[in-house]
Amino acid sequence: MPRIPHTSPQTVRLFEALLADPRQWRYGYDLSRETGLASGTLYPILMRLSDQSLLETTWEPSDAPGRPPRHTYRLTPDGLALAETRLAARNAGPASSTGSAPSTVSAKVPRLSARTRTAGGAA
Amino acid sequence: MNASKLVSDRDGLARRIAYRVLLVAVRGRRRRGGDWGEAVLAEFPETRGTGAGMRWMVGGLRVAWRERRARVRQLPRYQRIGRRFAFTALTGGLAAFLLGQFVLTPTYMPSGSMEPTLRIGDRYLVDKVAFRMTGIHRNDIVTVEVRQPDLTPESRRFVKRVVGLPGDTLTCRDGAVLRNGTVIARRRVDGDSSIPVSCEEITVPKDHVYVLGDFLDVSLDSRQLGPIPQKDVVGRVVARIWPTIG
Repeated sequence: MPRIPHTSPQTVRLFEALLADPRQWRYGYDLSRETGLASGTLYPILMRLSDQSLLETTWEPSDAPGRPPRHTYRLTPDGLALAETRLAARNAGPASSTGSAPSTVSAKVPRLSARTRTAGGAA
Repeated sequence: MNASKLVSDRDGLARRIAYRVLLVAVRGRRRRGGDWGEAVLAEFPETRGTGAGMRWMVGGLRVAWRERRARVRQLPRYQRIGRRFAFTALTGGLAAFLLGQFVLTPTYMPSGSMEPTLRIGDRYLVDKVAFRMTGIHRNDIVTVEVRQPDLTPESRRFVKRVVGLPGDTLTCRDGAVLRNGTVIARRRVDGDSSIPVSCEEITVPKDHVYVLGDFLDVSLDSRQLGPIPQKDVVGRVVARIWPTIG
């Protein structure tokens, strides 16, 4: 059986941090501090989520002079739905995160249209 | 964008080096690296302290490496194969060179002093590392560096067999060599030898070995040179590689 994507404890921890305030653009360093994930763990997860349009990114000009713009992140509506599902699955207990249970969970992930995603990104 | 501005002047040297390493890893010779590498780079000033900076940098290397791999995948096929080939050839060549120089060295036999075990022109492998752990034993064939200006014009490497370890007493009688009173080797031809043999009874001192060539009649060895310091043993012959038979 293929592995279910985005179920690793690290990814779920990241989901948790991003869900704290889903509309807020977040810095990589702050996410790293909140989740306790090293940059080498955190960023590959962010890259993966972004590739799959679960995460949107933007460059934000830095407030300090002479500093480059910072990359910021937040979940797309798709990502938000998935994150909530994954977090709920984890909190329901380890039994439901193994075996065949998650496949039913992932089947329940709502599929949002591309139009909704664009609107969410622009908001 | 001036990179040195990104790390404050109050930062320690280690942090500045960490930043520099990350910068090079992310950008290389380009003006701007991949988005994700640049993202990690831009967050670097947020870290506090040397340890945190280092950890951030190491993670950033991983990110830069991933982005690089993704970039390489975009290249045309022949270019990817060419790069892989060049990289493999280079690292393989370097590894083979280092291995051949310092670990397992192919060497050839220049003289007949070890006949019939090794003949002139035979190729054999010398182990330069493992014997230092296992130690030197009797009957090991070793290469030794000899530094005796009166007997050899310059420092030379000899291939000889170890017959005496520290504490063994060796002496010669009628062309034969005796260890602790037992004959262990004989000259093959009686009478005059091209090598004057005048070996006196000697007890091998600590950290020395007594070596002989298998062909006593022509070999220049501990009978003339005396016991060899073990630090001058540079390797142990593992196997003959050419000719393979005979």
